[in-house]
Amino acid sequence: MKETFLTPLMKGNPITVLILGICSSLAVTVELKGALVMALSVTIVTGLSSLVCSLIRNTIPNRVRIIIQLVVVSLMVILVDQFLKAFEATYPIDKALSVYIGLIITNCIVMGRIEAYALGNKPIPSLIDGLASGMGYGAILIIVAFVRELLGSGTLFGLRVIPEAFYNAGYVNNGLVILPPFALILLGCIIWVHRSIDKDLQEK
Amino acid sequence: MNTNSNVYTVIYTTIVVVLVAAILAFVSQKLGPMQAANQKAETISQILTAAQFEDFGNSNAEKIEFYKNNISEVVLVNTEGQQVGNLDCADAQIYSTSELKAQNYNVKDESKDFTIPMYKFNNGITVVPIYGAGLWGPIWGYIAVESDLSTVAGAYFDHESETPGLGGKIKDDPSFRAQFAGKKIDFSDAAPLSIIKGGVPAGKENAVDAITGATMTSKGLSAAIVSWLSALKPAFEAAAPAPVEVAACEEEVELNETEE
Repeated sequence: MKETFLTPLMKGNPITVLILGICSSLAVTVELKGALVMALSVTIVTGLSSLVCSLIRNTIPNRVRIIIQLVVVSLMVILVDQFLKAFEATYPIDKALSVYIGLIITNCIVMGRIEAYALGNKPIPSLIDGLASGMGYGAILIIVAFVRELLGSGTLFGLRVIPEAFYNAGYVNNGLVILPPFALILLGCIIWVHRSIDKDLQEK
Repeated sequence: MNTNSNVYTVIYTTIVVVLVAAILAFVSQKLGPMQAANQKAETISQILTAAQFEDFGNSNAEKIEFYKNNISEVVLVNTEGQQVGNLDCADAQIYSTSELKAQNYNVKDESKDFTIPMYKFNNGITVVPIYGAGLWGPIWGYIAVESDLSTVAGAYFDHESETPGLGGKIKDDPSFRAQFAGKKIDFSDAAPLSIIKGGVPAGKENAVDAITGATMTSKGLSAAIVSWLSALKPAFEAAAPAPVEVAACEEEVELNETEE
């Protein structure tokens, strides 16, 4: 059980090891707030989708199983989107994330974990696997967003952290950090660090 | 049971889809009023931004309260420029984006009669909505004019699905919006206020520069502004203030400025 939870976080991390969900991790990591909401949304979607698909895994007709999975995932994504729109605190973030919440449907992590795990395992382990996969994705998202918001805008969660004195002394925000290519460079560095720590991940 | 038979597959998928649709319909119905409240507060903050207000608060309640304190009246005008009604200011009634969409059909169709709201604020600024089509989906916005009903005080635009970083700049790029301030709406021109690609000629006071890399969105926005302002031409001319009133309003504006 513990392993089910830890594998997607470390050895089987969706972003750094499976290299899934790269597109959205470039798009939503300019600000920490957006990244956090995205991380939570993906975690909820992967968890609940895996749970539901695992519950009905023995009844799904094999020929249409991808379609059924897609319907379940879409349901969860639309529910998350509807709830984000309904609460005053999350409404502006949902607006800022625009299409990317809806695009969780196309995030390979969700379908990947259902196909690879939920369809062959009991509901509770599937739920844990789904949640952990979402968290593994979210953790990387938050690390990237932390660096990008700090260096790119000088803020964290929209609050100024780099003091005014730095700017007066000639410090400027790095414009490259805001652009998507930097997220890719940063991801590359995270993967590098991850692999150098975990020797099992290195190819011979 | 044979889960691979055709009959089973058809029945199974039908049940799943109907079930999912029912869940979504139920949730949508339950959350609808909350979402509508958020949208209303957002629209109000867009109108306030266009009308050059700042610091109107972050929460929905604060925004609505600020709007109620600063709005003087909301007039509904028709195709002939006549006033056909009012929106309740005490209740912070506004036209939602979907209501603007409905009116857009009437604006485009000359045989139909429309009703468009004109939001008049205490600081002398009047805000009118616009609505049209961008590259990927609807775009809309608010144009604020000074009390002379020809000088543009500011503008705010929003969109449903324009490309982020390109067409999305109509909303996200403050320098694009800032261009509108100080422009003159000129009803003698076929395009009373427009967006021009390749630079506004010197001396032309009723146009702003288009966004680089977003030609279609700029064109769509320009067309939306032209069609809605042209539609409102009779209303603007009917409501144009007598010279005395202008003087009085200008004094008020000056007072406001000195307070700042």
